Amino acid sequence: MRELAPGAITESEEIAKLKEKLQRDIRRSAYVFRVDCGGCNGCEIEIFAAISPVFDAERFGIKLVASPRHADILLYTGAMTRAMRLPAIRTYHATPDPKIVISYGACGCSGGIFHDLYCVWGGTEPVVPVDLYIPGCPPTPAATIYGFALALGLLEQKLKTRHQVQGRDDAVVPAHPRIPLRMRIDLEREARRMAGYRQGRIIVERFMRFLESEDPIPFAERLAAYLAHEDDPRLTEIVARLTDVAIQRGLP
Amino acid sequence: MLKLLKELLRTGDATVKYPFAPLPVKPGVRGKPEFAGQRCIACAACTIACPATALTMATDPAAGTRTWQLDLGRCIFCARCEEVCPTGAIVLSDNFELSVRKRDDLLMTAEFTLTNCRTCETPFAPAKEVGYVIALLVRAGMPEEDAEGRRAQLETCPGCRRHADVARISRTSLVRLAGLPA
Repeated sequence: MRELAPGAITESEEIAKLKEKLQRDIRRSAYVFRVDCGGCNGCEIEIFAAISPVFDAERFGIKLVASPRHADILLYTGAMTRAMRLPAIRTYHATPDPKIVISYGACGCSGGIFHDLYCVWGGTEPVVPVDLYIPGCPPTPAATIYGFALALGLLEQKLKTRHQVQGRDDAVVPAHPRIPLRMRIDLEREARRMAGYRQGRIIVERFMRFLESEDPIPFAERLAAYLAHEDDPRLTEIVARLTDVAIQRGLP
Repeated sequence: MLKLLKELLRTGDATVKYPFAPLPVKPGVRGKPEFAGQRCIACAACTIACPATALTMATDPAAGTRTWQLDLGRCIFCARCEEVCPTGAIVLSDNFELSVRKRDDLLMTAEFTLTNCRTCETPFAPAKEVGYVIALLVRAGMPEEDAEGRRAQLETCPGCRRHADVARISRTSLVRLAGLPA
């Protein structure tokens, strides 16, 4: 955690107790005030998507308000820039106690991609005490709804901190033992060239699973059935190229 | 009035049932990166690729361990880690329910043991990475005993290897200068 910014707010015990009561009793009437501390506006767009009829945050009584004096929940978005430190603190003080502070988006949670910039204090946390973190870049409307549901006590938190330790004789074997390494490299390269890194990898992994499988049905037939099922001309072209590469590298 | 009711029935309910029912997600959604520690070789490719430095690695030479860490609070879900991972240990799932009350719950760590250099005895490379390199050499067509024979070389740190090389080269060139049989 980064050191606290000058003027950082700490919560008194009395307020913490009141806040517990608020979280128990707030139920379905939560007024939200949004504070943009220096974000890219992506988070704002997703917040407005979350109050649109499709996700309809007003089902839970969540309403965006225009003044911090009306708010129960403060939503801090964006990395805390130097210029926004005082306005963020003033907003906090302007909101009546007890209040819930939500840190929204990767930038709000930790400073995100801007975390080590000269002009930011990091996320919301070095300036204002945070009760809930909604990570994402930006969080999707569904993730936003989940965050609000968590804040209002409708749902339980699913994520827990995790620590893994390597076993004594853990070993990793290269994948796809039945495909020659040279062929695998060429296939992966061609798939990446045609479909980009992520989709290319997904396509080539599926292709290699088809190649390796010991299904009695011939490879070409299985592939044709798969392509007919997917019905995507882009995929058909890429898979045809991959088959060419495999034949060049000695596919029987 | 009847017309309006008919129209309402036709359009139906636009609002999703989430969070009271699971939300069906589209394929290709990039959610929480799922990490399979048993497939990871701690090569640190993901930590170099990560644009937000959500993935970091720290070496503890005293304990002989290297700790990998994922900070979901910093992750921008770009899937660069998935792209560069040579073993497929990290894959983005469609899990989007990541909100937490404590900052620490956004952290995930994994600890790997390091191999000691055979010459200077300082830990330098993850044991799993060395094992993976040997397995890959075998897969590339090198006979198994040859690949195992390389283990001594692979388990020597770059500094010590350089020292050994210099010593070997100077010895052979001296031999050549003196016109002695090698």
